[in-house]
Amino acid sequence: MRILDLAFKDLRQLVRDWKAAAFLVVMPIVFTLTFGFAFGGFGGEADPRLPVGFADQDGGALSRSLLEMLDQSETIHPIVLEAADADRVDEQVREGELAAAVIVPAGYGDSLLAGEPVGLTVIADEGSTGGVAARSEIQAAASRLAGAVQAARLGAQTFEERVGFADEAARQSFVDAAVAEALAAWADPPLAVQVRQSGAVAEEASAYGVGGFAHTSPSMMVQFAIAGLTGAGEILVLERKSRALQRLLTTAISRLEIAVGHYLAMVMMILTQLVILIAFGQLALRLDYLREPLAVLLIMVTMALWVAALGLLIGLISRSQEHVIIMSLALMFVLSGMGGAWVPLEYTGRAFQTIGHLLPTAWAMDGLENIVIRGLGLESALLPVGVMLAYAVGLFALALWRFRKVG
Amino acid sequence: MKVLDIAWKDLIRSFRSLFFLFFGLAVPLLMSGLFYLAFGGISSDDEGFDLSVTEVQVVNLDEEGFGGQLLVGILQDESLADLLHVTAVDDAASARAAVDRQEAGVAVIIPSDFTAAVTDPQGQAAVEVYCDPTLTLGPGIVAGIVRQVVDGFAGSQIAVGVASERLGAAGVTVDATTEMGIAMRYAAWASGQHGENSLQVRAPASAPETSAAVRIIGPIMAAMMVMYVFYTAAASCLSLLEEQEKGTLPRLFTTPITRAEVLGGQFISAFVLLVFQIAVLLGVSAAVFGIQWGAPLPVALVTLGMIVCAIGLGILITALLKNTRQTGVIYGGVLTVAGMLGMIRVFTGNVAGASGHVFDVVSLFVPHGWAVRGWLALQQGAGVSEVLPTVAVMLTVGVAFFTFGVVRMTRRLA
Repeated sequence: MRILDLAFKDLRQLVRDWKAAAFLVVMPIVFTLTFGFAFGGFGGEADPRLPVGFADQDGGALSRSLLEMLDQSETIHPIVLEAADADRVDEQVREGELAAAVIVPAGYGDSLLAGEPVGLTVIADEGSTGGVAARSEIQAAASRLAGAVQAARLGAQTFEERVGFADEAARQSFVDAAVAEALAAWADPPLAVQVRQSGAVAEEASAYGVGGFAHTSPSMMVQFAIAGLTGAGEILVLERKSRALQRLLTTAISRLEIAVGHYLAMVMMILTQLVILIAFGQLALRLDYLREPLAVLLIMVTMALWVAALGLLIGLISRSQEHVIIMSLALMFVLSGMGGAWVPLEYTGRAFQTIGHLLPTAWAMDGLENIVIRGLGLESALLPVGVMLAYAVGLFALALWRFRKVG
Repeated sequence: MKVLDIAWKDLIRSFRSLFFLFFGLAVPLLMSGLFYLAFGGISSDDEGFDLSVTEVQVVNLDEEGFGGQLLVGILQDESLADLLHVTAVDDAASARAAVDRQEAGVAVIIPSDFTAAVTDPQGQAAVEVYCDPTLTLGPGIVAGIVRQVVDGFAGSQIAVGVASERLGAAGVTVDATTEMGIAMRYAAWASGQHGENSLQVRAPASAPETSAAVRIIGPIMAAMMVMYVFYTAAASCLSLLEEQEKGTLPRLFTTPITRAEVLGGQFISAFVLLVFQIAVLLGVSAAVFGIQWGAPLPVALVTLGMIVCAIGLGILITALLKNTRQTGVIYGGVLTVAGMLGMIRVFTGNVAGASGHVFDVVSLFVPHGWAVRGWLALQQGAGVSEVLPTVAVMLTVGVAFFTFGVVRMTRRLA
């Protein structure tokens, strides 16, 4: 009962500061919506494909065909640049208004028909995934167009060898018709690549791989769970500085009971926060967290356990409120950044990925994404839950060890 | 002189503060260092990233056919060993299951009729690329390679079909030998096409020549610097609140010192501290990460704008707070959230188009966003005239915050 009394006292103290409590719920929601929108989570935009500038200096039939082929892409949509825009195309790519730009040089079509193609100029930041994706799509379209022209040229050569053209006009007419036919065939090629994604949000797949909220919802949940430690840790520091802890220790309550009481309050605070955010994800963002309720519950509980243990440790190590803030925010940035809560670990280097997966945040992200993105079952949550539990035990043991020296 | 004395005393305290040393200097550099390591600082060269190897399971159900063998051979080519680790497995179900279990990132399933479809002018087939939905880069690379090979075959088939159709329309019969000849000539042409050479790819002009890693880390460093400069400014100004609570400030006012001198000293102290912080962060990041911050004059202007803005916000926050117990909300809440909003464009940098514009606008609702905008412009080689509007906004906002804060503080201290 003493433990519960202490826990409820802490919770009342935390709730009394309603601005901080609201911050822990409102901010992750705001950021989930904001970042989710960035990655196409609402899906309501007229054209979610990456915008690619198209500057046609050739103006021929083949450059128009290239434009049509680019427009058939599921990843990019070409935006024809007028002469005035073409002058600031570099700036548009640099500023991110365009994922890339393709410049079709004058004489492009003629050179293709002559079998000596002139290269397209592509302006792209290859340090961005958008730039890389756009370049790949432009490459595919350009190759297909060149293939269509080559098919027409081979047909014309064969006809020339077998029958012969009456004149150049007849040859040109043959080639034009053959190019049109080849381009029509490329619209639905006989041999194709079918890309399929496994998992719960496969049907919402976008240029970024998954639905916009499927990554941001778990990531903001993880980040703001750690952010909540600021207030909880401060309670412990204030208790020590005001000598309330020392007075408490003169009563019949044991150190373990005091530690568990504070810990329980933090666990309950984080769990409440997670429940609200899961409910928001489920109801508002239509992420199916509840398709595996037991798995999600286990992940939430173990996440709350290790985050709270970390909070307890911070509160016991810190000498002042300032220290609590430094440590909480620094750990939030480091654990979130390195654990893949900001940028998926896939985009990072090998060493970073390995280090990142030593952190509990990466396992929390894995656990939640296994359910909500990969569409896996309870068994997929067991390893992340086990790792997070081990972290919780380790951090709690460290906190208890530290608590022996306090007071 | 009293103003300078107060400023000096505050500066000494700040430089001795763990908060400043850790939060003001170490954390922004550490965070940027982390991202530098994450995005290529440890790459073998400046041109490419040290991408992790994607585990690929390939199922060739077309074992006897040359099509399947060719595709598997290309995927297993040594030149791709740094990107792909390809394992051949026997059946499609187990390959898909491996992806589901995250033992592989991608499964490539070549259908049994692939070669038959390649050789039959009317044949149709699809190679399946089954991937983990949380991955983008690995599946993109694999799908790109597979598509290149499949497009080569498809192009050959289309060439034969088009030639047959056109020649047929002209009354010329195309036999199997002719079809084979066309297919082989197309294949010879396709194999001579080095796709990469048909595109001349370049980075956007007028940006300083930098490596890909620096192009990524530069904006992150700018965002981190802005975030932590605002923290430092707030921390420096909040010391007034602390002094008021401890009773040292009321005691100070029993001396002939004026409130304006106290606030002036506070401003000078914060200004010098922030100049020092920014100079260290710019210098170290240029030396360690190779970030090019731009010409001295525009850098000085953006620095001035950001400092005035940050101190103004710090004074305003201090004036609005009742006690130091509310600082947790300020750091964890207001400044962190405003900082995240201000640098949102940096972390959604891959989003081009309409969404990107939305974030440009959203970030400008907070002072941090204007500061980030200024530093990003500098990294792209902006001159004085280009940064002046941004600097003007920061100065205006900073002065407005400062004025409001000072009026309120003066009333409180009266």
